[in-house]
Amino acid sequence: MNGMGEMSSVLRIILIIGSLIFFVFIMNMVRTKKLELKYALTWILTSFSFVLLSIFPEILFFIAALMHIELPVNALYLCVISLLLLIVFTLSVAVSRQALRIKTLVQEIGLIKETLERMKKEG
Amino acid sequence: MEQMEKYNLKTLVIIPAYKEAKNLPRLFRELKEVPLDFDIVVINDCSPDDTEAVCRQHGIPVVSLPVNLGIGGAVQTGYKYALEHGYDIAVQMDGDGQHDPRFLKLVLSRIYEGYHMSIGSRFIEGKGYQSSLTRRAGIKFFSWLIKLLTGQYISDPTSGFRACSRELIRLFAGSYPKDYPEPETIVTALRNKYRIAEVPVIMRPRQSGESSITRNLAAYYMIKVTLAVIMAAIARKNGDGANEWNG
Repeated sequence: MNGMGEMSSVLRIILIIGSLIFFVFIMNMVRTKKLELKYALTWILTSFSFVLLSIFPEILFFIAALMHIELPVNALYLCVISLLLLIVFTLSVAVSRQALRIKTLVQEIGLIKETLERMKKEG
Repeated sequence: MEQMEKYNLKTLVIIPAYKEAKNLPRLFRELKEVPLDFDIVVINDCSPDDTEAVCRQHGIPVVSLPVNLGIGGAVQTGYKYALEHGYDIAVQMDGDGQHDPRFLKLVLSRIYEGYHMSIGSRFIEGKGYQSSLTRRAGIKFFSWLIKLLTGQYISDPTSGFRACSRELIRLFAGSYPKDYPEPETIVTALRNKYRIAEVPVIMRPRQSGESSITRNLAAYYMIKVTLAVIMAAIARKNGDGANEWNG
């Protein structure tokens, strides 16, 4: 009746295993330094909350009741979509900053190369 | 004008070039015929052709960018070069042969008179290459928009034939839009209380190669530049525009 209330135990086990694998994957990425800790933090928290939610779906029922959302699964969608929007926006900001830094570096390299060549020519 | 020239203002002609190996020799030849004292720098925006070699053959200083930055990034490199080498005036000229060096003196004259930016406009006298009807409509729209936002009418806001004083060299070296920079920088300059003048020039159709704005990109161009111009009009002063976080 209430969305995830009658979740079958098979589905629950699949969700738990899935979120655990995700969590381990993220931790491994951080361990091997493929993911910068700054961005990893978000993903560690996200994957950890997936694990928590799959083990204790009651948390979701509580959140749904708190927000006056009838179906807990809708509360889940709302939370996940908001989180994703936040992450994507943060990334856009990060990409813009990187683009500017790269542009400055490229210009600087070009100018330095030109100076270097002129110095070589002048002896 | 003659008076100011005696002060011997150090002048730099900035030529942003992408795949212009075929067009540059003629431009260099025409520039040599101009009876004015100025230096030239070509900003080679990572061209795959012989742009760099052509410049070297002609003994023209060339800044070769290791990565393609687009027109805005290339022009800004020119302003950085001008700032670094202490130039008083910087003139932008396209590398595709559209801009006739014979008008250089006229474009510079407004800077000698104390204007901060002088734009070569193909629409004041309406002579020479006027570009297609749709393009003219787009340009007209930007003239109207800039008039609305700043109160000043600029007949050719997309012209890339323009001279800048030292103040604007400094401003643009620090912050310059990435692509389609011309209308936006006009608004930025006016918003920062710099004075802009236009002079009539005759432009030529480009000799070879294609324009950066193709038909498919026209709508994108209009929307993007409109937004950029509005953003520039409401940006914080001193060029702290939407395009530059601190680098």
